[in-house]
Amino acid sequence: MTVADPQDAASEESRATPAVRVQSVSIRHDGRDITTPTDVTFDVDPGEVVLLLGPSGCGKSTLALALNGLVPHAVPAELTGTVTVSGMRTAHETVARLSERVAMVFQDPDSQMVTGTLLDEVAFGPENLLLDRAEVLSRAEESLRQVGLWERRGDNPDTLSGGGRQRLAIACALAMKAAVLVLDEPTANLDPAGIDEVYAVLRSLVDSGDHAIVLVEHNLDAAIELVDRVIVLDRNGRLAIQGPAREVLVDRVDELMRLGVWLPVALLAALRLREAGIRLDPLPLTPRELTAALDAQDALPAPVIAGAVPEAGATGAVHEAGAARAPAAAEPAVRVTALDLDRGRTRILNGIDVTIERGSFVAIVGTNGAGKTTLLQAIAGVIRAPAGRIDVLGLDPAKADARTLARTVGFVFQNPEHQFIKSTVAEELAHGPRLQGIAADDVEERVSGMLDRFDLQELRAEHPFLLSGGQKRRLSVGTALIDGAPLLALDEPTFGQDRARASELLTLLDGLNAQGTTVLVVTHDLQLVAEHSSHILVLDSGRVAAFGPTASVLASDALDGAGLRRPPLARAFRELERHPSWRSVTRLRDLPSGPTS
Amino acid sequence: MTPSRAAVSKPPIDPYAAPADFGPWRFLHRLNPLSKIAAPVPAMALLLFTRDVMTPLVFCLVALALLVIGAHLHARTLLLLLLAVPAAVGVMSVSFGIWADPAASADPTVIVEAGPLHLTVGGWLIGLATALRLAAIVLLALIGGLTSTGPDLVRSLVQQLRVPYRLGYTALAAFRFVPRFGHELEVIRQAHRVRGISDGRGPIAWLVRTAGYVVPLLAGAIRHAERVALAMDSRAFGAHPTRTERYSIAFRARDWFFIVAFWAATAVVVIVFAS
Repeated sequence: MTVADPQDAASEESRATPAVRVQSVSIRHDGRDITTPTDVTFDVDPGEVVLLLGPSGCGKSTLALALNGLVPHAVPAELTGTVTVSGMRTAHETVARLSERVAMVFQDPDSQMVTGTLLDEVAFGPENLLLDRAEVLSRAEESLRQVGLWERRGDNPDTLSGGGRQRLAIACALAMKAAVLVLDEPTANLDPAGIDEVYAVLRSLVDSGDHAIVLVEHNLDAAIELVDRVIVLDRNGRLAIQGPAREVLVDRVDELMRLGVWLPVALLAALRLREAGIRLDPLPLTPRELTAALDAQDALPAPVIAGAVPEAGATGAVHEAGAARAPAAAEPAVRVTALDLDRGRTRILNGIDVTIERGSFVAIVGTNGAGKTTLLQAIAGVIRAPAGRIDVLGLDPAKADARTLARTVGFVFQNPEHQFIKSTVAEELAHGPRLQGIAADDVEERVSGMLDRFDLQELRAEHPFLLSGGQKRRLSVGTALIDGAPLLALDEPTFGQDRARASELLTLLDGLNAQGTTVLVVTHDLQLVAEHSSHILVLDSGRVAAFGPTASVLASDALDGAGLRRPPLARAFRELERHPSWRSVTRLRDLPSGPTS
Repeated sequence: MTPSRAAVSKPPIDPYAAPADFGPWRFLHRLNPLSKIAAPVPAMALLLFTRDVMTPLVFCLVALALLVIGAHLHARTLLLLLLAVPAAVGVMSVSFGIWADPAASADPTVIVEAGPLHLTVGGWLIGLATALRLAAIVLLALIGGLTSTGPDLVRSLVQQLRVPYRLGYTALAAFRFVPRFGHELEVIRQAHRVRGISDGRGPIAWLVRTAGYVVPLLAGAIRHAERVALAMDSRAFGAHPTRTERYSIAFRARDWFFIVAFWAATAVVVIVFAS
C-alpha cells in the first residue's frame, strides 16, 4: 500500500516496462471549469489486474477513456500529463493505432454492436487492422471460444441475452490482441445471471494472465476476488490511495467509507460485527471468506433478525400466493385476483393472486421474461389488464381515466427522461396538478413543496434534460407523487446506475415509505431488495412463485427455484455450519451492532 | 434498455441476414447487387418520359416475370405483387383520370359521372399510363430490392464502386439503430400517456404529442450514436485506407450479361412500342 506521491513513479522506474504508465494526468471536459481526474499518476504492470475506485463523478470513466486515446482524440476534452501504453505516448498516436495496444469494453452492450452476426462482429476489429483473412478468422474463432460463444457464431447479436452480448463485447476486445484490456463498468447494465456470466469469463482471462486488466466497477462483491491492486480517486479526482487490493480495503476501510466508495457487503457485515465486539481476522472480502471467518468463531451472540415485519423471524414460513393472511386493519393497497394477461399470442401473466397491504415496500423480482414489468404496469394502469382483476385502493386501473389514476398511483419509468414533457423543472411538476384542474395558487404551493422535498428548489427554472442523473431521478419521482398518489410504482429504477446513486434513490424511497407511501419496485439488485423492502414477490414464468416478508422469502428456497441467485449476504450466512441460528441472516440490519454485554 | 428487450421484441426484419442462395433457377440472388441496379436504371429513366400505356405495361410485365421466376419470394410478397399492384394501378388510374386535363384527352366519351366529377375514356387512359409508369418504376426497383441484402450492397459499393468504406460501414451500423429507436419510441409514448398528455384528439393534438416525443428520442439517439462511435474507434475503425474484406462480392460475366441483355431489351421495347 502506497500513498500517491511523486517519488513513487521514480522508484518504480527500475522495474520492467509497465503496460500502462499514467503520469500527472488531469482531464478537463470542454465547457467545464474543473478537472476530473486531477494530477493522477500510476502504473499498470503486464498481467496485473487493477481496479479503479471512487465516488460518482470523480472521473474514473474519463480516465479509462484516456488509456486508449479516446480522450483527447475522440472526446472533446483537454488532457495534461502523459499516458504511455507499451512505450507509445497516446497523445501522439491515433486511437486506431492504440487499439492494438489497449482494447476496451464499455458499459452498454448494445452500443458496441455494429454488424449482423457474432462472427462478423468479432472479425470487425481485425478486419479494420487489415489482417489477412486467415488471421482474421483464427482470431475470431479463438476469441469466441474464449467467451463460450463459438457455437452461436452465425446468430444475430440481438438474439443473445444482455450477459451474452457483453461476453461478445469482451470477445471483440480480445480479438484486438492488445496487451491491455480496459473494462468500464462492464456489468452495470446486466441482471445477476449476466453479471455471473461476465465474471466467469473475466476470471478465466485473469487466470490465463495474458492481459493487464484495468477495471472500473462498482460491484465489488463480484470483482474483488480478481483484483491485484486498487487505485482510489477522491471526490475531486485526485489519487487518494493505491495499493494491493486486500491491504487497501482492510487497512484503510474508514478512509474509503469517508470517500464514499462502495465496499463489498461481506466487509460491511464484518465491520458491523466488529462494532458489536465480534472480531473477524482477517477481515473477509467475499461471501465465502465471511462464511469461513464466522465458522472459525467458537461462539456468537444471537442475531437480531428484526425487520419491518414482526413475523419475519420465522424461517421457511413463506406465504403462498393468495394464502389467507391475518386480517389487516385497513383495506389493502392492491388486490390482484386471478389475473391472466397476454401480449400477442404469448401469455405473460398466468393466474396472479396477490394482496399488497398499505404501507408495505414490495420488491418484484424474477428472471428476464418472468412478467415483472408487465405486472407492475398492469397494476399502475400503464397497460390495460382485463377489467375486474385488479383493485388499487378501490379503483380498477383497467377502467380508470388518466386523471383519477394519477391521484391513486404514480409510475416511474426506468429512464426519467422518457417522462419529461415540459421545459422547466417547475412546469414539469405543475403539469399534473393543472390537469387535475387545481387552482393556480394551490398548484404553486404544491410545486414549491415538492421542490423543497426533493431538494430541487434552486433548479426550478432549469430544463429537465440538463439536470444531473440523480436530480432527474428525483424529479421523476416528484412528478409521480405530486397528484397525491399513495402508491408509487417504479420499473427498474436502479438499472444502469452506479451503486451510490442507486442507494440514494432507495434511501429516498425508504423515507417516502416511512411516511406511509406504499412502494412497488421491479428490480434486479437483490442485495438492495434485501436491505430495503418489507416484502418480496417472486415471479417465475408469469406465476407467483412466492410472496411474503423479505426475511422469510430470502431464507426460503423460493429465489433458487425461480432461477435467481440469493444476494451475497444471504449466501454467506446460509452456508454457516457451526452457527445454525445465524443461517437466516440476510441483511446488514439483522446483525448485532454496538457493544453486546 | 431493459435486459428483457431482446426476449420480448425481436426485430421483425434482420437487415444483416446472410445472403441466401436458392439455386440456379432463382438467378437474381446470384447477381451482384450493383448489376441489379444498373440494369433497370435506363428503363426507369425512360419511363419518366413515356406517355403511352403499352411501354410501362410491358416493363411491368417484364419486371414481374423476372421477380416471379428469378427471385425466391415469400407467399405474402408474391400475393402482394400479383394482386395488390394491379389493384393499386386500377385505383390510381381512375383517380388520376378524373383530374386529367379534358382538353388533352383524345376520347371525351364519359364513363361515369358523379356530380361535378366525370371520368372520360381519354382521361382514364392518361391516368392508366401514369399509374402504370409508377408501378413499372417500383417493380423495376424491386428486382434489386427484393433479392439483395443491405450488407451485400454496401460491400459491392465499397469493392466495385470504391465508395469509402468508412461511409458504407457506418451506414450499415446505423441499421442497428432502427429497432432500438422503435422500442424507445414505444416506451416514451407509454410514459407520456401516463403523464396524461394523451388527452385530446385531432391533428393538432397529434402534432403536439409527436413533438413531445422528439426531444427525449433525440437526446437518447445522440448519446447512443456517440457511444457507438467510441466503440467503433476503439476497434480500429478507420485505421487504414482500406480494410480486409472477408466476403468478396464478385462482379462476374453473368452480371455484365444481365446488364447488357436488360439494356438491349429496354431498347427493343422502346423502339417497338413508344414510336
